[in-house]
Amino acid sequence: MVQGTLDMLVLRTLVVGPAHGQTIAHAIERGSEEVLQVEHGSLYPALRRLENRGWIASFWGTSENNRKAKYYRLTPEGKKQLAAQTSRWEQLVKAIGRIMHPAREGQS
Amino acid sequence: MNWGRFFHRGKADTEQREELEFYLDVTTEEYIARGVHPAAARDAARKKLGNATWIREEVYQMNTLDFLEGLLRDARHALRMIRLNSGFSTAAILSLALGIGANTAIFSLVNAVLIRPLPYPESESLVGVFNSGTIQGETFSDMGLGPGMYAALKEHSAAFQEFGVWSPGTATVTGAGDPEQIKTVTVTQGLLPALGVQPVLGRRFSIEDDMPGTAETVILSHSYWLRRFGGDTQMVGQMVVVDFVPRQVIGVMPRTFRFLDLSPDVLLPQRFAKANLRIEPFSYSGIARLKPGITIGLANEDSTRVLTKVIPENARSFFEQARVKPNLRPLKRDVTGDIGAVLGVLMGALGLVFLLVCANVANLVLVRAQARTQEFAIRAALGAEWGRIARELLVESLMLGLLGGAFGMALAYGALRILTAQSLTTIPRLAEVSVDAATLAFGLACSIAGSLFFGLIAALKCGIPGKILNARGASMGLHQLRAQNVLVIAQVALALVLLVVGGLLTRSFVALRGVHPGFTQPERIQTLRIAIPETQVPEPERVARMQAEIVENVSRLPGVQAAAFTSGMPMDADYRSGNLVAVEDKLVPGQPPPNRRVKSVSPGLFAAQGTRLLAGRDFTWEDLLKRRLVAIVSESMARENWGQPNTALGKRLRPGALGDIWLEVVGVVEDVHDDGAHRPAPPIVYFRTGVNDPWRPDRPPSIRRGLTLAIRSGRTGTERFLREVATAIHSVNPSLPLTQVRTLNDVYRRSMARTSFTFILLGIAGTMALALSIIGVYGVLAYAVGQRRREVSIRMALGAQPSQVKGLFVRRGILLASTGSVAGLAAAIGLSRWVSSLLFGVTALDPVSYVASAMIVSAAAVIASYIPARRASSVDPIESLRVD
Repeated sequence: MVQGTLDMLVLRTLVVGPAHGQTIAHAIERGSEEVLQVEHGSLYPALRRLENRGWIASFWGTSENNRKAKYYRLTPEGKKQLAAQTSRWEQLVKAIGRIMHPAREGQS
Repeated sequence: MNWGRFFHRGKADTEQREELEFYLDVTTEEYIARGVHPAAARDAARKKLGNATWIREEVYQMNTLDFLEGLLRDARHALRMIRLNSGFSTAAILSLALGIGANTAIFSLVNAVLIRPLPYPESESLVGVFNSGTIQGETFSDMGLGPGMYAALKEHSAAFQEFGVWSPGTATVTGAGDPEQIKTVTVTQGLLPALGVQPVLGRRFSIEDDMPGTAETVILSHSYWLRRFGGDTQMVGQMVVVDFVPRQVIGVMPRTFRFLDLSPDVLLPQRFAKANLRIEPFSYSGIARLKPGITIGLANEDSTRVLTKVIPENARSFFEQARVKPNLRPLKRDVTGDIGAVLGVLMGALGLVFLLVCANVANLVLVRAQARTQEFAIRAALGAEWGRIARELLVESLMLGLLGGAFGMALAYGALRILTAQSLTTIPRLAEVSVDAATLAFGLACSIAGSLFFGLIAALKCGIPGKILNARGASMGLHQLRAQNVLVIAQVALALVLLVVGGLLTRSFVALRGVHPGFTQPERIQTLRIAIPETQVPEPERVARMQAEIVENVSRLPGVQAAAFTSGMPMDADYRSGNLVAVEDKLVPGQPPPNRRVKSVSPGLFAAQGTRLLAGRDFTWEDLLKRRLVAIVSESMARENWGQPNTALGKRLRPGALGDIWLEVVGVVEDVHDDGAHRPAPPIVYFRTGVNDPWRPDRPPSIRRGLTLAIRSGRTGTERFLREVATAIHSVNPSLPLTQVRTLNDVYRRSMARTSFTFILLGIAGTMALALSIIGVYGVLAYAVGQRRREVSIRMALGAQPSQVKGLFVRRGILLASTGSVAGLAAAIGLSRWVSSLLFGVTALDPVSYVASAMIVSAAAVIASYIPARRASSVDPIESLRVD
């Protein structure tokens, strides 16, 4: 996975509603059609990091199968952060695209 | 960084583990749902998660402050090291405690006396109002104000927001219980508003209270209210008989109220007769609160403008000649006086002691750090960063410093408790001394600064990369002791400076004790104050008779050699007074005569006091009865005016600038050091007690009513004797209170109190310094001996004599001591002018003090180096070489 994108993906996943770690990982994997594989060794530290920065908040809840699970939800700062990261990401993608396909860019 | 999580890392970790457990469970279930065997499913889930412990550690790290963690760990480690090396730690902590304690104590004195503002609101705008003037070349900077000046300033000053004058005094309270003499301060209405203080009960003085003819009033101090009236809250409105006049209590001052440096029992209203506001006498001190934005310079100008208007025609020439002008200054300076010089020297001396302590502890820390170089080298080899090792040394020093500081603060607290209990009248504002936040901050700053000093030395010597790698742990060359040598030289130098100062003070003290004060055996002179109030005995003739009877009755008591009255005992500043005294044929026309110390004494005073009569005769009771115009002068007065004591007899002098009453000099007595043994004896003119005829026919005869009775007897101070004296006096008048019962020795000792206080504290500082530097020299040489054991063994094996080996080390000790001594002598000469104001009878460059101090330091250094040297020479070469 591209460095630094995991944070953004986690935030994006949480836009639809609170989720626990397992759901987040599954959502990213399925959403990317299994292209992106989430390593749990990095997912949990990433969650903690996002929480420390105040972009997500956690609470203990009950999972689908009635188990105690830790849920995460997006905070208002997290939403702002996601918007900022998304636009930056789009710029980056465009810039890379220009470099990778200079001719097509020039024609259009 | 999340502080909440930092402090609850354990809990956070448990939650993390639960979260990961949950993940494992869910994933396992998923695998099982896909048809994997339950046992294998769990393993697969684990594999997918990766190393759970590693994840937890990573998260845990996120919740950590590395630096703080390390610091806490180092602090714990340092405390363990301090406990383990109890000998080293005790020495270091004790010497730090002494150094920091002494400095903190003296700082809290300086803080309370000099730095802290006076205990009144916005005290920086308070000024003392005085005049300055020059009479016969002598400048007086605190001439008081006269009633006329007070009224003019009160009315017309544009610079004063509030203004009042005051004067201290004593009064007698009668009524329930024994008659009691109390301390009073008489103030005008504006004084309490100027200070900005309000009574806790009742009200302040009003303008009406200041006017003659209205009801007499009084305000009680908090302590007197508690002591005499048991803190009765219904006290306001009740009557108290002060000086036989019933006065209505209108208020009680707050407990914290202090009148400058006095603690009066009551405040009385000052009443000036409106009709007759004379410019003289200049005997009231003024206090004003300046309007916002007014400087002292502006206020002085304004007061000059106001005062020039009120000087009466007949006094104008005197005012011009004496150049009398307003002299306002910050009120705080009036309270603290010149104590700053003493405290400055003490602070400096104890600061030096603290430096010495730091140097000593630095030595100890260095020695310990050097002993651990091998350990550091091993740790560095195992991958410890040098920063870690340096930090550890610093933290250890810091712990030592803080522990020493804590004990030091406790010492300071104890020392201050003892000091404030002494009621030393020579230190103003002593009652305000306390251990406050500033004092604690100072103590803490001392601890930290000291720790940084010796911690850095140790870290720089032993804890930085090059030093760690070089250290081989084998025997060290002399150059590695360079830091210690420098420290020891500095210690010897500092100790010498302190010894020189201590020596100078000792010599001053001895010189002071050697001054013949003009009286003998002060411990055998009992004194007490008796005032016969006008309200009780109005006629001067009756007062004179009572005074004569008192002397007669007391003289008849067994064991009494002599008894007599005087207006004020020698060195007793409370009853010191001066007057212009003109000498016949020595008057310069148009110029005021010089101001002289004057005293009124009864016959026999000189015998009671032990003051020798040099020429002529003493006063006689007949002089008093016949109201003869006679005077006695002191030797210096006689020499100044007539050359010889004998030639003074029969000459005439006149008190005051006005009138035409000439007194004949009938006797000359030896000089008395009336301002204290440390000041030259002033010329004194003695008048007789008893009734004086008025200098203007329209005035009544006058008499001095408040006098000190001096009794020479071997029985002074015993209770039985005092009871007999009281009975003898009360048989003349039973309602006379006897106050200020003490011996002249108390007054004499108090006049030397400041010198002896400085002398004792500097003596302590000097002794501490000497001890510390001896320990320093001993420590370094003992360490050097230990380091050079192998070398010594080889020398001895090759045939060196023990005496040669001893010489080797003693020579080093002498070299260190003499280098330090030279530096110390130079520093002492440079610094000596700071103490010159405290010296008496010796110069700041007194050779005896310098040579003696240098000899003491050198002798101490030789002894300190001899002990380790002897140990070196007694080394058994075989054994010592075998060990290595």
